[in-house]
Amino acid sequence: MSLTPASGIGRFYKQSAKIIRFVRQGCTNRPFYHIVVMERRKNQHQPVIEQVGSYDPLPNDFNERLVALNTERIRFWLGKGAHLSVPAAELLGIAGLLPIHPRTYMTAWRNRRKAADEAQAEATSS
Amino acid sequence: MLRAGCQLLGQASVAKTGSNNFALEFVRWRRKPRWLPVAKSKLFRVPERKKQTEEERTELMRLHNQYKTQLRSVRQYLREEVIRYEETSTADHIVLTPEQEEAEFQRCLDENAAWNAAIAKEREIRLAKERDEKVVYVQERLEAKKLRDEERLERANARVLHEIEQSKTFITRENLDAAIETALANPVDHNFAIDMGGNLYYGRNATQFPQETTNEPPQQALSN
Repeated sequence: MSLTPASGIGRFYKQSAKIIRFVRQGCTNRPFYHIVVMERRKNQHQPVIEQVGSYDPLPNDFNERLVALNTERIRFWLGKGAHLSVPAAELLGIAGLLPIHPRTYMTAWRNRRKAADEAQAEATSS
Repeated sequence: MLRAGCQLLGQASVAKTGSNNFALEFVRWRRKPRWLPVAKSKLFRVPERKKQTEEERTELMRLHNQYKTQLRSVRQYLREEVIRYEETSTADHIVLTPEQEEAEFQRCLDENAAWNAAIAKEREIRLAKERDEKVVYVQERLEAKKLRDEERLERANARVLHEIEQSKTFITRENLDAAIETALANPVDHNFAIDMGGNLYYGRNATQFPQETTNEPPQQALSN
């Protein structure tokens, strides 16, 4: 079975709901995501309309998590009325294309609180 | 998770996912089928709700409202951008007046005519050249044929002359008797051996040969 081009072969209706979301590629214990535009009702492993980026969630040797975005096409599809999945919205918010997603703030303050709690626990124990 | 399927589910997913199923894997994490009941150990387990304080909830509500407003305006901007781009970028939307269309068509016609003229000129030159080449070729072939015919005629003449020359020694009805007489008068004995030096070795006396033949031919003729 031949591989399909990442630029997309997905068929779609003109009026159907599109969504920008992640498709989990990679393998067991090694996630890797394609950021794609596809019909909202479709399963993530079905052919995509277009791939607009990629996201590697595991930090590399330099402690970087690599993201590639085709902002031109993302702007186009958003202008066409494509929806956004929450992880994609968070990523685009951090990238600076969209406003920061509230969930980002939430994780941030939860992490801060957890760190503070741990520090306090350490201080009390020692 | 999609990849956690039993055999049946796996096959269905393969059919559904089409050509991209290289990313799917069904060997590991096989769960129990959906129709099996909840395990006894998990029967009375109540999953703990994530705790969310009132403060956090209100804060999130505020942030979400803000986010939605901002996203709406961004979307509005992008939509306008797309529309603007579509209007400005593509030539399909530009509507021409009939005069302009006519002028455009005329321009295309002229261009086409110019191309045709140029190509016709080239073609004329090429065809003239080809004609000349053809004439030369045919001339060559004709000369070659003339030469060939002459040669053949010569050969035939030579052969005819040779045959005429040969026919002087032919045996005809007129000189048949004379030929027989001479043949009988001069018997030739071919019963000899020959060595590398060209020496002839006669096996038997050739002089006896005519006497025997004079007696025997009538009998042989009868037997034949």
